[in-house]
Amino acid sequence: MKRSNIILLVIGAVLLLLVFNGCGSYNSMVNKQEATSSAWAQVENVYQRRVDLIPNLVNTVKGVANFEQKTLTDVINARASATQMKVDASKLSPDQLQKFQASQGELSQALGRLMVVAEQYPQLKATQNFLELQSQLEGTENRIAVERGKFNDVVKDYNSYIRKFPQILYAGMFGFDKKGYFEAEKGAEKAPEVKF
Amino acid sequence: MRFLLEVNMIKRFLVLLVFSWVAILLHAKEIPAKPNPPRLVNDFINVLSAEENAALESKLKAYSDSTSTQIAIVIEQSLEGDDDFDYSQRLAETWQIGMAGKNNGLLIYIAIGDRKIRIQNGYGLEGSITDAFSRRLIEEVIKPNFKQQAYYEGLEQATTLIMKKASGEFVNEDFGSEGDAEGGFISTFIILSFIILMFILANRGRGKGGNGGLHGPTPFIGTFGSRGYSSGSDFGSSSGGFGGFGGGSFGGGGAGGSW
Repeated sequence: MKRSNIILLVIGAVLLLLVFNGCGSYNSMVNKQEATSSAWAQVENVYQRRVDLIPNLVNTVKGVANFEQKTLTDVINARASATQMKVDASKLSPDQLQKFQASQGELSQALGRLMVVAEQYPQLKATQNFLELQSQLEGTENRIAVERGKFNDVVKDYNSYIRKFPQILYAGMFGFDKKGYFEAEKGAEKAPEVKF
Repeated sequence: MRFLLEVNMIKRFLVLLVFSWVAILLHAKEIPAKPNPPRLVNDFINVLSAEENAALESKLKAYSDSTSTQIAIVIEQSLEGDDDFDYSQRLAETWQIGMAGKNNGLLIYIAIGDRKIRIQNGYGLEGSITDAFSRRLIEEVIKPNFKQQAYYEGLEQATTLIMKKASGEFVNEDFGSEGDAEGGFISTFIILSFIILMFILANRGRGKGGNGGLHGPTPFIGTFGSRGYSSGSDFGSSSGGFGGFGGGSFGGGGAGGSW
């Protein structure tokens, strides 16, 4: 066999390999991207759960004589702006995620303050309704933490996959972009202040 | 541009560093290995007597056999400074209590030395075992018993209530909290009418096909029957020990308390 033939054969084989490899990588990238979308759906679910709890909570607290109004309106406003913030589940770009986190973070803080203030009203703490709402809210915050963690794991898997060789060659070509993470909440490390 | 990129990288690295430090400072407690042979009651410090342990185990195993819902109990001395929610959530996810797909596992975690208890339930039980229910269970059933060191009595009563509450979800399709017999009747009725309907449909299909006859519906019924049995058999073996945790996943639902 001539030398040029051998070279052609080798080039052909390499090209074929690249194409096969590209198909495999593409399919894996699609799978991993789908996994991020479904993890995101779970994240939205648990945040929605929290949003749905708030009207009930606000109504319960409102019923208590001279409850501090400012904390209530803060919660209502934060809820309104948090529900307006929508994220495109197919993109999940880092800056979108950061905005989402910021608006939900405000709601977390407002809710945290509300619960702290509520502690100062013994007549409120005594009601079964409030106790149940409190445990539901706690459970929801836990669920949020869990789903955020799971989302981060899936995104990490996806992000590291698309940035590895040889996927990195195809990722840009087919529009597989890096997705954002949830970062530790600003101010989450310090508990809300309690004033007496 | 490149400078900015580098700054970003350094930032990210620092964040990671801080995270790892936080992790070290909080020193996450290590999850114990899955029990082998598999058990639902895992009392690592022998708070329960052998008889109490066996009674709980057989009760939970019977429940898991009949409903596939796995209720596991873990009793340890201490959380070693770890957060009760974090730790029990990780434990439940690592052991994969409950069935895959159904996610119908529930973990009752107790740290005797810390006087802390947590109930964690899988995604599949969130509809019946609400956080508010778990909280009430802890406040009204578990705490009063545990305060008098009546651990077995507390767990006995709590698991009974959990079973009653959860049964609505997988066995009786929520026909009410009580009346197992009635629920059983209705579900048999539904299954029976479903079989009859299938029978009729299969017969009709045969008729249209034109090759009717005595053998018509029999093969269909045959496969239907065997399928029904095989799905029954992954609910765990009917004799011997507990078959093992089935791959359930947890979303963080539940409640906790200390006594």
